[in-house]
Amino acid sequence: MATQMRAVLDQFAAASGPVSLAEMAQRLAVEPGILEGMIAYWVRKGKLREVFAMAPGAGCARCGVSDTCAFIVQMPRTYELVRENELPIINAVCNCGCGGTKTQ
Amino acid sequence: MAAHALTIALAGNPNVGKSTLFNALTGSHQHVGNWPGKTVEKKEGSLRIGSDDIIVVDLPGTYSLTAYSIEEIISRDFILLEQPGAVVVVVDAANLERNLYLVTQLMELDIPLVLALNMIDMARKRGMHIDVRLLSARLGGIPVVELVGNSGIGIESLKEAIRGMVRRTEPGTVHVPYDDAVEAELPRLQTAIDNAGFARPRWSAIKLLEGDLLITDTIAQRGGGALVEAAQGAMKRIEAATGEDAETLLTDGRYQFIMGLVDGVLTRSTVGRTPSERLDHILTHRLLGLPIFLLMMWFIFQLTANVSAPMVDWMDGLVNGIFGRWITSVLSMVGLSGTWFESLLVGGVLAGVGGVLVFVPVLMVLYFAIGVLEDSGYMARAAFVMDRAMRVVGLHGKSFLPMLVGFGCNVPAVYATRTLEHETDRKVTGFLVTFMSCGARLPVYVVVGSALFGAAAGNLIFGMYILGIVVALATAFILKRGIYRNQPPQPFVMELPPYRMPRMRDIWRQMSNRTGSFVREAGTIILATSVVIWLLLALPVDGQSAFNDVAPEQSAFGAVSRGMSPIFEPAGFASWQTSGALVSGLVAKEVVVSTMNQIMVGESMQAGAEAAESVETTTFGEDLSEIGNSLVETAVLTVQETLNIVPRTLNIIPGLNVPELSLLGAGEEEDTTALEASLVRLLTPLSAVAFTAFVLLYTPCMTTVAAMRQEFGTRWALYQVVYTLVVAWAVAVLIFQGGRLLGLGA
Repeated sequence: MATQMRAVLDQFAAASGPVSLAEMAQRLAVEPGILEGMIAYWVRKGKLREVFAMAPGAGCARCGVSDTCAFIVQMPRTYELVRENELPIINAVCNCGCGGTKTQ
Repeated sequence: MAAHALTIALAGNPNVGKSTLFNALTGSHQHVGNWPGKTVEKKEGSLRIGSDDIIVVDLPGTYSLTAYSIEEIISRDFILLEQPGAVVVVVDAANLERNLYLVTQLMELDIPLVLALNMIDMARKRGMHIDVRLLSARLGGIPVVELVGNSGIGIESLKEAIRGMVRRTEPGTVHVPYDDAVEAELPRLQTAIDNAGFARPRWSAIKLLEGDLLITDTIAQRGGGALVEAAQGAMKRIEAATGEDAETLLTDGRYQFIMGLVDGVLTRSTVGRTPSERLDHILTHRLLGLPIFLLMMWFIFQLTANVSAPMVDWMDGLVNGIFGRWITSVLSMVGLSGTWFESLLVGGVLAGVGGVLVFVPVLMVLYFAIGVLEDSGYMARAAFVMDRAMRVVGLHGKSFLPMLVGFGCNVPAVYATRTLEHETDRKVTGFLVTFMSCGARLPVYVVVGSALFGAAAGNLIFGMYILGIVVALATAFILKRGIYRNQPPQPFVMELPPYRMPRMRDIWRQMSNRTGSFVREAGTIILATSVVIWLLLALPVDGQSAFNDVAPEQSAFGAVSRGMSPIFEPAGFASWQTSGALVSGLVAKEVVVSTMNQIMVGESMQAGAEAAESVETTTFGEDLSEIGNSLVETAVLTVQETLNIVPRTLNIIPGLNVPELSLLGAGEEEDTTALEASLVRLLTPLSAVAFTAFVLLYTPCMTTVAAMRQEFGTRWALYQVVYTLVVAWAVAVLIFQGGRLLGLGA
């Protein structure tokens, strides 16, 4: 019997792209608080990743930060499946002097 | 300080109010240091309960007790090695399920536990009810205490619970039941671990099956190599039987346990019970929601345009007057007066960069107002409010979130589309976000609005924001009905934060970060563009003038601008100055203002500064005095303009004529910047609207186009550049020619 943990991964695999925590919680009929922990497990395992609203290695001319960008604070937390042939995501310190991090 | 039977540890997830609770328990009896060999802060304190002196150790905040972070290892090692008399696990009652994961792991350690349900008031406000007795029973009778740590509610009950637990020695009675395949292996492994003399056999067996490296290494080093091998064999059998690795099954087991645990323990009110839900009943109402949203935006732009106006005038006076004089004076002292270098500094850098920086107060007011809406929780509702309108055009509220980001800056808005699930939605939304009026366009609306519409500039700004949304929706309609038809509708689900009183600290941080990004751009892109524009303005093309001694319209920049201006003839703004500003605005939208300032004000700034310098009109001290006096006057005017928001809002109602406040007497508060005065000569109210509409809609800045290219490819970015140019021109012409036909004048 498939576990709830596996169902989380399967749902992300079945999605066409990134899905927000709230939306996935509704699809799986699981409380967001529980799903948050399940997703954290798969993120740690490298199977899922959080999608930040900033391009890998790219930066806005103004700053260059991703998850700390002052303009994208209201975006919901969104995750997607890490495909087999994809490189892992690394968070690096932004070098623009703003003290934020960016996704590489 | 050695741990003993009367030591307790405070454990919990991050941000559950653990430190507040620690302070409430220990008061001033605290010692702060570091965990041995670590940079993680360690806090110890003491409290007296009855005749017992108890040491309290605040463990680092963790979500679990695995060995993946230093905080987790510190917490786990302390509990295992120091063996406190009890662990008080602090739980955020409003996020019970998430927090219970740590509780299940602590239960597996078979230590006396006290469950502190902190922030119970917040949980109740959110309509959550927790059956404390049932929860305690399901957790094997461990004490469960309801708390509001920051107001001290429940602290005495917690102390009593701690007192009762610290001397208990019997192990816990409730264990998390795992998958059958795991439970089949656990007893064998447990017995082997027990026989080998290791403590906590069930917990150790679980850790071995999880593949916990630290525990596995420790057991192996202490002569438990056979146990490790046995565990590895068990892991293989579990995976063969279930198709799932043991660690995932164990994690799944804990979550299944939590789901069963909270069933019946935690109940949520369903309809209209909490204040947030009652407020949402009105603010996200299917009919009232959109008008309320629009009214709020209208109010924000009134605030932005009017409240910041005195400060903009004050800064304009500094930049275009006093600073110019100071620079000229300094250059005169070093013998550079009247040179190209002076022209570059005053007519190029100061007019260009300074001309944009004078609008910092406008952005601060806008970002403050938006910050209030965000921090209160309302902004997240805007997507819900817009969901209905978005569905009409084939998108959904989810797509409105990147568009909201676009109100700040289009670049992160383009990247924000990657949070959308479907590629078509990402592409279409990416196309739309560039129509959202970013902060960089605001100075253009403010300067044009103030010049042509005075106190009604807020209406022009509001109109531009709405126009951006309307054009975006129309574009979505075309794309979704044309290129991307037959796409199935997507549901829109979003977790809405509860409403709360906005916190000044957070609003200030947002406002300063956003304004800071604007200032940074002024110091980089706008500075560079200003220098290039100055160079082009100094280069003669008439074959007669010399470098830096040429009328602007006879310069290289003037020639290019004149060549472009016929295109804008049907839109009503065919002057070479506005045409040139629009061309340079392709770099960044703020550059439209800086270029206009360079063309229309720069030369006069330089001439004015030189004239002032030559007649020695003021001393440095007099200048400082003038700055101080004008600042006081500006502060008074700012108060006046803030208060006048009320009568101006009320005066929208036909027939009402509430008088406005005038703190400095009639006429004294009227002021226009040098650029505004020049614009009045070039534009009419109708052509001003057409001009600002063009600025709003035409090709976004270079960085946004680069972001589009990176996200969607060169072809899509090129489509977007062409489409925005065509739409901008068409809308501007429509406004101007339509307005003339309606008799609105030219």
